[in-house]
Amino acid sequence: MSETIIESHLAIRKDKWIGKPTKRVEDPRYLTGTARYVADLELPRMLHAVYVRSPHPHARILSVDTSVLPGLGKSVWVFTGQDLRDVPPLIDHVALDNLLRTPQNVIAIDKVRFVGDAVAVVVAGDRYAAEDAAEQLSAAVEYEVLPPVPSVEAANAPGAALLFDDLGTNEIYRQTEKHGDTEKAFAAADRVFTTRFHHNRYGAAPMETRGVLANYERSEQQLTVWSSTQMPHFLRSVIAGQLGLPEHRVRVIAPEVGGGFGQKMCTSPEEIAIPFIALQLGRPVKWIEDRHEHLLAATQAKEEFINLEVAVSNEGKLLGVRGEFIGDGGGYSFNTESALIEPALAAKSFPGPYRIEAFDEEVAASLTNKSPVAAYRGVGWTAANTVREIMIDEIARELGIDPVEIRRRNMLRSDELPYRSVTGQLYDSGSYLESLELAMKTVDYDAFRTMQERLREQGRYLGLGISSYVEQTAWGSDSSAQAGTPLPSHDNSTVTVDPSGTVTVAVSTSCHGQGHETSYAQIAADGLGVDMADVKVVFGDTLTSPYGLGTYASRSAVIGGATVARASADVREQILKVAANMLEANPDDLVIEDGTISVAGTPSVSKTLAEVAYAAYWDSEVRSDEPMLTSTRFYDPPATYANGCVVVLAEVDADTGVVTLDRIVAIEDCGTVINPMIVEAQVQGAIVQGIGGALFEQFVYGDDGQPLTTTYMDYLIPTSTDVPPIEVLSLESPSPFSIGGIKGMGEGGQIAAPAAVANAVADALAPFGARVRKLPLAPDYVLRLMGKIGSPNG
Amino acid sequence: MATNPKQVVTLTVNGEAHEVLIEGRRTLADVLRENVGLTGTKLGCEHGVCGACTVLLDGSAVRSCLIFAVQAEGAEIATVEGLAEDGKLDHVQQAFTDNHGLQCGFCTAGMLMSVHALLAENPDPTEDEIRVGLNGNLCRCTGYQNIVKSTAAAAAAGKAARSSAQAS
Ligand code: FES
Ligand code: FES
Repeated sequence: MSETIIESHLAIRKDKWIGKPTKRVEDPRYLTGTARYVADLELPRMLHAVYVRSPHPHARILSVDTSVLPGLGKSVWVFTGQDLRDVPPLIDHVALDNLLRTPQNVIAIDKVRFVGDAVAVVVAGDRYAAEDAAEQLSAAVEYEVLPPVPSVEAANAPGAALLFDDLGTNEIYRQTEKHGDTEKAFAAADRVFTTRFHHNRYGAAPMETRGVLANYERSEQQLTVWSSTQMPHFLRSVIAGQLGLPEHRVRVIAPEVGGGFGQKMCTSPEEIAIPFIALQLGRPVKWIEDRHEHLLAATQAKEEFINLEVAVSNEGKLLGVRGEFIGDGGGYSFNTESALIEPALAAKSFPGPYRIEAFDEEVAASLTNKSPVAAYRGVGWTAANTVREIMIDEIARELGIDPVEIRRRNMLRSDELPYRSVTGQLYDSGSYLESLELAMKTVDYDAFRTMQERLREQGRYLGLGISSYVEQTAWGSDSSAQAGTPLPSHDNSTVTVDPSGTVTVAVSTSCHGQGHETSYAQIAADGLGVDMADVKVVFGDTLTSPYGLGTYASRSAVIGGATVARASADVREQILKVAANMLEANPDDLVIEDGTISVAGTPSVSKTLAEVAYAAYWDSEVRSDEPMLTSTRFYDPPATYANGCVVVLAEVDADTGVVTLDRIVAIEDCGTVINPMIVEAQVQGAIVQGIGGALFEQFVYGDDGQPLTTTYMDYLIPTSTDVPPIEVLSLESPSPFSIGGIKGMGEGGQIAAPAAVANAVADALAPFGARVRKLPLAPDYVLRLMGKIGSPNG
Repeated sequence: MATNPKQVVTLTVNGEAHEVLIEGRRTLADVLRENVGLTGTKLGCEHGVCGACTVLLDGSAVRSCLIFAVQAEGAEIATVEGLAEDGKLDHVQQAFTDNHGLQCGFCTAGMLMSVHALLAENPDPTEDEIRVGLNGNLCRCTGYQNIVKSTAAAAAAGKAARSSAQAS
């Protein structure tokens, strides 16, 4: 690992807490059932909303006959797209000129574009009554059914029906960009390998579905929205804009959020429609999505087609790549990051940890009659990593080079970093090769190969799959620009010591399972020199937290963590100033330790933090010009890049095609670690989501555009018996660019795991010449790969 | 809307009797959450797959989204709210926080109740038995690693408590 010296202006105070596997301070409320998620909230006179959703993939809404509902306007209320026609449609925020826009009304007005598109909202006094009414109303909607567009291929076939007639096309973007000299690279190549890969459509499926509760106090002209969101402040801005309310009259609260994984970062149309309805009715309205509805209507992710040509030398050197990345965007190019979220990010991140000096990218996206595609942990990067790592293994196999060796030959070494990739990503520091070597040592690679050979003779097919990755983190202005989808941003924290000497940290990031209350308390405790128990972290309420973008894209530890460290450093100085007045000493000679301020070397001359804080607020003799002990600091970091390697050991049952995972080893390097226990668990969770995508998960649509995976019986997420033990080992290459050398992490496991699984299966099935061209590796596909049924990639 | 007839049902939850006036079609989960006011029990699918709604009915784990409240009349119902005593976590809850067995916490209530049912039946499970015992409870955050570890730790703590009780 490279020795990285953190420059002094980036240094943070690291003492008793940072780097320790501290138990989470937030756990007790979850363990005792007192944590309140949006579904658990209740307000007086609250109404319940249920959606009527389109049963057709593509249709025109002719009429909605609300007269079928008894008690309309008295005990039941209905809102259709017509009722919300003055609410502006949602549009993506990506600043690219030649990207076509697909305005999405928060309830469909003339047309529905996927099964599950919102047609009406029914509101009643209780959920059961609202469900009854919604069912009745569903039968009273008249549609003109239009030809469905179930796939990218269908979207671009001559004469295809158009999702947006005025666009004149279903393909909303196509752009090529050249990096380096691919002509030269291909001319110099000994061999050219090609692939056409279909990355499956799967999704976040957090255990808590989406949900919104809105209440408008007419006398106060105050709208309060509780939503299961990752971005409360951003949502406040969007709601204020869409509903034409002054932003200071809108308050958004993210209560406990039961997982988000990126899905809860963009604005759901429901997050606009429900507040609108609450405003109209002047009563609190709650909508809680059920799982069936979630699997139909919530955003999906990751589907894209990647076509590659790779120029290599006989020694296995990657000379140049031509890649086409085509996104299947679904019914709308979704708000926040558009339908480019998959293909554009995949293209930019394609080089990964390797030295690839020539790369042509062609990025495209099409609309289809499916649920829209939006963010899910490892956006774009998962698909890019999957296809690249699979390809590297295939090239190695063809050239007779060991898969570890071919990676060694192409990987960037830590002393070559910082390094700007051919696509413009500036890798700050890392341990690409060290991670690979450590992983191979941990699994005892040579012993595995011997065993593999022996068992093959007995008709057992074991395989080992490697997947190396670079994970772009610290998602601020710089990171988003380097990813190819510029979105300027920053985040803030306020650290305040009250008159009794205890500490409140208010942050703009918004936790949904990542343990921020613990990690930030560790940073503040070290920054101030106090016990963690004296620090309380608050977030998720726009009234009490400073503005910022929230939690997504592995940004919170590096951005939020830095803001807490910076604000704590300010407050520490304020404390020392007051203490210096009290002790008649020079602030530079004072230290704070365990909540006591003393003259360095003379511990008897001291004051407790409580005494100093009290004096700071109440004693006009010693207080500062600004008596409050508080500071708000921002951070918008340079891009950072975490890295690692995931190795999967698997066995394929040659009779049934079932893949059993035996062991997983993961190396994670995310720079300075705040809480290793949390980092380890993030890696494990992300890997299992990747296993889901590799083996089980796919949103399946029929040729008629009908979704076929609308319950947890059809959409399979991994269970405890599907996953093997996962060993996580850490390397630490602090970033030379970011405050504290923190990089952020959380997505690497998801990015790397699918390729590791696919490579393990391909390795196991090498005797059959298996080439993985799509995921998931369901038993029937595995049998095809073995030539036991049908054709391999038919 | 036509209103459906309601009936009075008495439910014993965590040792306390609750009388509720409800429609016959209300699920146990909804009644616990909305009528009794115990929202610790979660709903992750409402179709019997995810296990988030797991409660104990006379000691056995059941999915409270799949049964009607009227069916639970007369039974002892145990929910997550009844585990800790006077604010002190029980040995399963303690094992989960000691071993980082939860992230977002949404699956946790159901998971804890399933662990209780599993350990009641098999106080000393192997790792495989833990995995099989919990494979009806989905968790999207943890990848199950620390849930398995927490359960093993809870089993060990239960064993230690039993042997010290025997010794005294
Ligand atoms: S909510 Fe009952 S099993 Fe999922
Ligand atoms: S901790 Fe989030 S679903 Fe299990």
